[in-house]
Amino acid sequence: MTEPLLSIRDLRTVFHTDEGLVRAVDGVSFDVGRGETVCLVGESGSGKTVTGESITRLIRTPPGEIAEGEIVFDGRDLTTLSDGDLRDLRGDRIAHVFQNPQGALNPVYTVGWQIVEAIQLHADVPRAEARARGVDLLDRVGIPEATRRFDDYPHEFSGGMKQRVALAMALATNPDLLIADEPTTALDVTIQNQILGLLDELQAEFDMSILLITHDLGVVAEVADRVVVMYAGKVMERGGVFDVFERPSHPYTRALLDCLPGRGDGGATSIGGKLPSPTDPPEGCRFHPRCAYAVDACKRGDQPPDYAVDGDEDHVVSCVHYEPGGDPSVVRGEEAVPTDGGRPVDDEPTHTDGEEHT
Amino acid sequence: MARGTDTFESVDWEETGSRLSTLSRRDWGALLSGLAIVAVFLYDYLVLPASRPTITVPVEWNVTQLDWLFVATLLAIVFYVAVPLYDNRRLTAYYWREFRKNRMAVLSLGYLLVVFCIGVVGPILLEKPTLALDQAYQPPAYMSVDSSVPVNCLGEVASGRCQGTMAHPLGTTGDGKDILVLVIYGMQVSMKVGLISTLLVVTIGTAVGTVAAYGSGLVDELLMRYVDIQLVFPAFFLYLLLTYLFGGSLFMFILIFGLTGWGSIARLVRSEALQRAEEEYITAARSAGAGTLYVIRRHLVPNVSNSVITAATLLIPGFILFEASLSFLSLGDPTVPSWGQVIANGRSDLSTAWWISTVPGVFLFTTILAFNFMGDALRDALDPRQET
Repeated sequence: MTEPLLSIRDLRTVFHTDEGLVRAVDGVSFDVGRGETVCLVGESGSGKTVTGESITRLIRTPPGEIAEGEIVFDGRDLTTLSDGDLRDLRGDRIAHVFQNPQGALNPVYTVGWQIVEAIQLHADVPRAEARARGVDLLDRVGIPEATRRFDDYPHEFSGGMKQRVALAMALATNPDLLIADEPTTALDVTIQNQILGLLDELQAEFDMSILLITHDLGVVAEVADRVVVMYAGKVMERGGVFDVFERPSHPYTRALLDCLPGRGDGGATSIGGKLPSPTDPPEGCRFHPRCAYAVDACKRGDQPPDYAVDGDEDHVVSCVHYEPGGDPSVVRGEEAVPTDGGRPVDDEPTHTDGEEHT
Repeated sequence: MARGTDTFESVDWEETGSRLSTLSRRDWGALLSGLAIVAVFLYDYLVLPASRPTITVPVEWNVTQLDWLFVATLLAIVFYVAVPLYDNRRLTAYYWREFRKNRMAVLSLGYLLVVFCIGVVGPILLEKPTLALDQAYQPPAYMSVDSSVPVNCLGEVASGRCQGTMAHPLGTTGDGKDILVLVIYGMQVSMKVGLISTLLVVTIGTAVGTVAAYGSGLVDELLMRYVDIQLVFPAFFLYLLLTYLFGGSLFMFILIFGLTGWGSIARLVRSEALQRAEEEYITAARSAGAGTLYVIRRHLVPNVSNSVITAATLLIPGFILFEASLSFLSLGDPTVPSWGQVIANGRSDLSTAWWISTVPGVFLFTTILAFNFMGDALRDALDPRQET
């Protein structure tokens, strides 16, 4: 395999707050290959967004701080890059799309102005040319009558249209990596599918990698190549989308999947308990207070290291049951539901019926 | 492909020649005009002898320091009010529709425009009223007063009453100055006081407020603690002291209160900007590669401008009234005929020549009222929290 486009190693982002040090991201590692879609999954507050914003150092410092770790993007470590160099990367090679399309556009400027801004921040093109490119982009992301709507203000667009505009702004400079932070969460299901389909098309067309941050496993199943499951600032499990969905190995991943209706024994099961305190996380595995399979070893020391699942180095899990000589079947319950691992993935997100626009 | 352009248009290029600089074309226009004014001012101040009028054609006008400041203010208004309104015609039309709903405000706007235009042009064309004791105490036109009041009635005297004449439509003061001319001069004084001080206050306040909000941390702490100190600083006593030392001057009044009065605006802007800075479009702009100053100037400031404009319209009458009260107490500039001063002069004649104090008083009152009406209507039209 060639060198990944983005490689995050042991990233630790902390926030200095009055309540104490919040370790929002606490030793996260994963790769995003070229042309690949990687999904960062986890419940709210698990550090997904902070991870995404840490990549181009968008977190506010202070109170935020990237305490440790390496973020290697195309051979350069972003954590050691100067602010100026990083600014050149932002928007140009690494673009962001945010969760809330209502908020991502500046209400005082026309959408055309904002797209032209995105283009001109990085390229020396005359206004007329930037405008032509902007209209083109709007057209490309599926805004009808792009020429006429170019000079409209954001409030004159619907939520889905705004997200398309935001996407057009992100794509304005033909980025290598698009970090999409819950781009469809604020949209209804049909629009969500359109946007995901659009992302998929554009990914092929612009030949870019996508880091998609989401809590929606349906979205993951639809678009991801690889999945990173986060919990309380730690990576619980990561691997290819088929591996993770077919052989969910970490109890947390299994619990997340069980939250989906129609999975496992039929009904949706919520995870009991709540996220641990961000200032004072539990010792041992972060998930152990809510884990049905927790043993004494889970409650001591640090988060367990990444163990390969079934000898597959690309699918790793941070759970003591997988340590060499351990017995993973305790967690995977292979005796109880022997066919679970064999379920076809495409059946899972039935409630999103997604493929129609791709 | 992006990679190729990246190396070609290397980092240095980005720093020096990006088409999207922090300052917009309008900013550059304003900056260049400002520099031009400074240049002409320096020429007037250093090269031309003080006694020689700066402009002789078409009228003789010796431009004072305050006039220069006023010209600069007017330019700022052109660049940051008139030009944007013209550029965004659709938005302007929308605001106008909202604004028009308030009849009093439209009336006020019309009145203020008239006052503004007469105030700006009038004093250039009209000669400053001079002492003319033989014309003292003339009543306004179509009015009459007991013929014993004026020393020398210019109009007809019928059945013991002196009639006013059109030579002095609003009558004259106790030292024979034409009140209409005084009022027109007073308009300019009021406009200068209101607009220049407010411009100073708003510019500094907005800059400090947005930088503090966006900078956060130490920057915020330092700026806002300074604001705290400045807010307890008695600018009034500084003004009294300087008046005592150098004599009252309008220029000094404007500078002192303009340069020390921005604390509350800075606080207002900061609290507004703190909210705005958390908006996603700010993060989006940063994620698109915008620098700190760029984000503040192009994204933060425009988004707080509505509350700033509203606050500014309500600041202007405050300054005008303050200047009038200081002039009334003879703490103002004795050389400029401000409304407060004329009111103070007519105070002792109130029982015989009521018009001396009343006429400028009415103008002061209506002007303040008009600004307040306009401020209210502007807040209704501009405040985004009311329309969403």
